[in-house]
Amino acid sequence: MELSLLSFVQIIIACLLIIGLMVGNAVIMVYIERKAAGFIQRRPGPYEVGPRGTIQAICDAMKLLGKQLFIPGNVDWALYFLAPVLAFLPVLVLFLPIPFGKYLTTLQVDDGILLILAFAGLGVISNILAGWASNNKYGLLGAARAVAQSVAYEIPMIMALLAVVFLTGSLNLTAIVERQGTWPWEWNIAYQPLACFIYFVSLVGETNRAPFDLPEAESELTAGFHTEYSGMGFALFFLSEYANMLLVSFVCATFFLGGYRGPILDGFWWTFIKAYAVMCVIVWLRWTFPRVRFDQLLNINWKWLLPLSILNLWVTAIIIKFID
Amino acid sequence: MFKAIIDNLKGLYSLLVGLFITGDFFLSPQKTTHYPRKVDDPETLKSYRGPLELVPADNYGNGKCISCQMCVRACPGHCLTVTKGDKGKEPKVYLYDFTLCCLCAACVESCPTGAIRFSHKVYMVAPTREALHLDLIADLKSRATKIDPMGTKAARLKVAKAEAEAAKAKADAEDAAKAKAGPAGSAGAPA
Ligand code: SF4
Ligand code: SF4
Repeated sequence: MELSLLSFVQIIIACLLIIGLMVGNAVIMVYIERKAAGFIQRRPGPYEVGPRGTIQAICDAMKLLGKQLFIPGNVDWALYFLAPVLAFLPVLVLFLPIPFGKYLTTLQVDDGILLILAFAGLGVISNILAGWASNNKYGLLGAARAVAQSVAYEIPMIMALLAVVFLTGSLNLTAIVERQGTWPWEWNIAYQPLACFIYFVSLVGETNRAPFDLPEAESELTAGFHTEYSGMGFALFFLSEYANMLLVSFVCATFFLGGYRGPILDGFWWTFIKAYAVMCVIVWLRWTFPRVRFDQLLNINWKWLLPLSILNLWVTAIIIKFID
Repeated sequence: MFKAIIDNLKGLYSLLVGLFITGDFFLSPQKTTHYPRKVDDPETLKSYRGPLELVPADNYGNGKCISCQMCVRACPGHCLTVTKGDKGKEPKVYLYDFTLCCLCAACVESCPTGAIRFSHKVYMVAPTREALHLDLIADLKSRATKIDPMGTKAARLKVAKAEAEAAKAKADAEDAAKAKAGPAGSAGAPA
């Protein structure tokens, strides 16, 4: 891939669009999340600000921007400020290889999924830094949990994605989408249901969402690793959390749900519809299940997801070998 | 091993059931009342324990209380002050401190004439503590003027007079309480 001026400009524009997407996504998801929480608990949710509470999330964001940046004593200054930035920046890179549409990819790289998996690891580092730098026992405990959890859940996640890569014979996300058909039974979810399930469970664990939100378990750790962050620091963590959610949903849509291919008219709208459907399921899970205990969390991973994903990979490899 | 697998599959199924329950809730109508725009059906508030109120004996603001002090003694929080009137058995003062009340109903159960009950005032706002020191006789009278089918001027005058009397009695009671507290305090100081 040669880096011409044109592709450089293209990447800059795409990055700006992606930042817009991330911010817009956070605003929309906060609204969806709170409304869903309300409806599931049979109450109206946000209602007062704007028609049916639609601008509630924007007002919350404004409030967050206007808040005092409170820095507790004895923090490690450099790391304390580095952590939220480090949480936010890699997410930008993660979106680069995602094929929103057939020609709507920021950066056509042959090892797209490798890029995503490699940079996704940086998110954990930001959590550790935040927990460590804020000189707070809850922050540190949250950070420790984040490490154990993310490291554990990354493995079955990669295994599940690998099964699809075996099937396609390519790490390029566009190629993976192209191999899938337009109808749901031609998508990878039909060929790899177990991998899809494993990926889905580990994406919930990987993004620290309930029922696996132990690094920020409010009832135990006040807010976990971002306890000591206020104002913009907190906003950046918040933004990156939702952006991460969006990213794993996009990857899920690309790998298992046929990406931009759909029954009627192929296009980027299918990617978005599918990704947001996955997000809605994640929200649904959050308001249904209670938080698991930490040993349960790791048991689910090491005793179930990991063996299952290895088994799935073996079976896939053997079948591919025989068919070929 | 196999048992563990079966158990886990059952667990997975139960998760699915849980999802369906919340999904069902998501789609079913809401249970909450959007307060300033809607209020609850009074029928549903029948079991709500609001602050105490006197049970009216008739439409003219008369209660059933015979000033027997049973409720005052039964109350664990010392919320009630009942003073017998000069003529007859009716109380002239019936003060109730809602800030101390635990809504235990000991007073309601101990009353021989069934003169007190819980009101169903859900939408109650008190800007100060003092606003929760309630005068139940005045409250009874105020309700009587509303229910009174013969809401004539004479009846209203009568009520107003009774209210004035009640207010005066309350002031008297407070004076008396102060007078009682005063000497006790001065007597206690040297000792
Ligand atoms: S409900 Fe209980 S606490 Fe309240 S006034 Fe009656 S006896 Fe006292
Ligand atoms: S127990 Fe009943 S009748 Fe006796 S003073 Fe109390 S309210 Fe009046």
